[in-house]
Amino acid sequence: MPQFLSNKRLILLLIGVILLVALISLTLRDRGQVSLPEQIVKEAVGAGQSVFSRPAHFVTGVFDNIDSLINTFEENRLLKARLEEFAGVQAEVTDLRSENEELKELVGKEEDLREYNPIQAVVIARNPDQWEEKIILNRGTNHGVKENMAVMTAGGLIGKVTIVTPTTSTVELVTTQNPNYRVSAMVLGEDDVFGLIEGYDAERRELLLKRIDFSVDLKEGDQVVSSGLGGIFPKGIVIGEITEVTIDEFGLTKLAYVKPAADFSMLNHVVIADRLAPEVDGEDNGMTEEEEEES
Amino acid sequence: MIRFLVPIVCLVLFFVEPIFGLFSPLSIGGSLYYVVPRFLILFLIFLTVFYELRHALFYGLFFGLLYDVFYIDIIGLYSFLYPAVCLIAAYFFKKIPQNLLSATLLALGLLLAMEVALYLFFQLIGLTDAPAGTFLTSRLWPTLIANALYLGLLGWVFRSMMVTQDPQRGTKFGLY
Repeated sequence: MPQFLSNKRLILLLIGVILLVALISLTLRDRGQVSLPEQIVKEAVGAGQSVFSRPAHFVTGVFDNIDSLINTFEENRLLKARLEEFAGVQAEVTDLRSENEELKELVGKEEDLREYNPIQAVVIARNPDQWEEKIILNRGTNHGVKENMAVMTAGGLIGKVTIVTPTTSTVELVTTQNPNYRVSAMVLGEDDVFGLIEGYDAERRELLLKRIDFSVDLKEGDQVVSSGLGGIFPKGIVIGEITEVTIDEFGLTKLAYVKPAADFSMLNHVVIADRLAPEVDGEDNGMTEEEEEES
Repeated sequence: MIRFLVPIVCLVLFFVEPIFGLFSPLSIGGSLYYVVPRFLILFLIFLTVFYELRHALFYGLFFGLLYDVFYIDIIGLYSFLYPAVCLIAAYFFKKIPQNLLSATLLALGLLLAMEVALYLFFQLIGLTDAPAGTFLTSRLWPTLIANALYLGLLGWVFRSMMVTQDPQRGTKFGLY
């Protein structure tokens, strides 16, 4: 029987394994930071990836168009019915907006958590091994993207930026299993209720809204939006709607299941929200830039 | 010919994988199925068994490293797994009948082993808490079926691409 590996090769293999284990543990510790060689590789692969993703998006676009053509008749009828409502709502919105601006001028309030600078981006890849829910966008620090910015589609919030290089950025989706992933959110109603989006139920495919005051009554179907109080996201990005309210594992606060408003399956064009109000660094309760300078 | 063909095919497969990843997860009948495209490693297994091990190891290390840096941000995971899978493929292929069917089955068996190894690794570092049953039904079987389809369609192309080459050429240096 021929020997599988000679002694010399076996030693080489062992050294290789040890080196790799060391590398794995080293890179596991600081995954948020990118070193220069990593950055160069990311840039190069990103450039190649955009070349390949463009025709792919074109093909899926054609299929989408055919799909929507089939449903045109039905959709048109529905939309016509809603158009009449829409005119009324439109008038009301303009009225409220101007009123809001006047009132803001009256109290001299300039900064608003709602305002943000939208950065349009295209998804060039999705992490193919899907253990972590990550997508890669074709915008980076050159276009004003910073870490921790909110990323959304027309439907609603989908995730936040975790790593940026000059021309690419990596987005971790809200459907991740990462326990350190939090979004401060609020439930719209007569009184706004605040809580944190923490975690994702993979079986139900719904987000968990935790730390809600026990005395508050929540209804199914209530809208959940970002509150802007976490310090990074703008206020008012739609997250989803409540499907069930229960008590959390310690019995002290309430927990609500939130069905995400955005569709995560075929992501193509997304918007990165660059908040105009001062941002804090890090996850939550970080410091603003001014505070940092003082300290 | 193969001198340029192999790196080009590797590069194309590497870039096509995440594009197929965009279609996943598939939702059929209310449940989600994760289909992970593993085009590159299957090609490398074919390269190992029908052409030469050293080239496969080299490309496995190179593209594994790119994969780690660009997608996973854990360096050393795929750059270890890809060459390791090629080594095991070379070892086992000597002991079984050497034809297209056996190579396909071997490649799928190794893919299964690799998926399980990745599942255990990600469970170890706490990136997933999916129970083994969910992993089997929503990830392993769909992935294996989709990749079997891919090998069924393109396996003979890969093989004819490698086997028609002069066997003497494979033993020479120069492709690096």
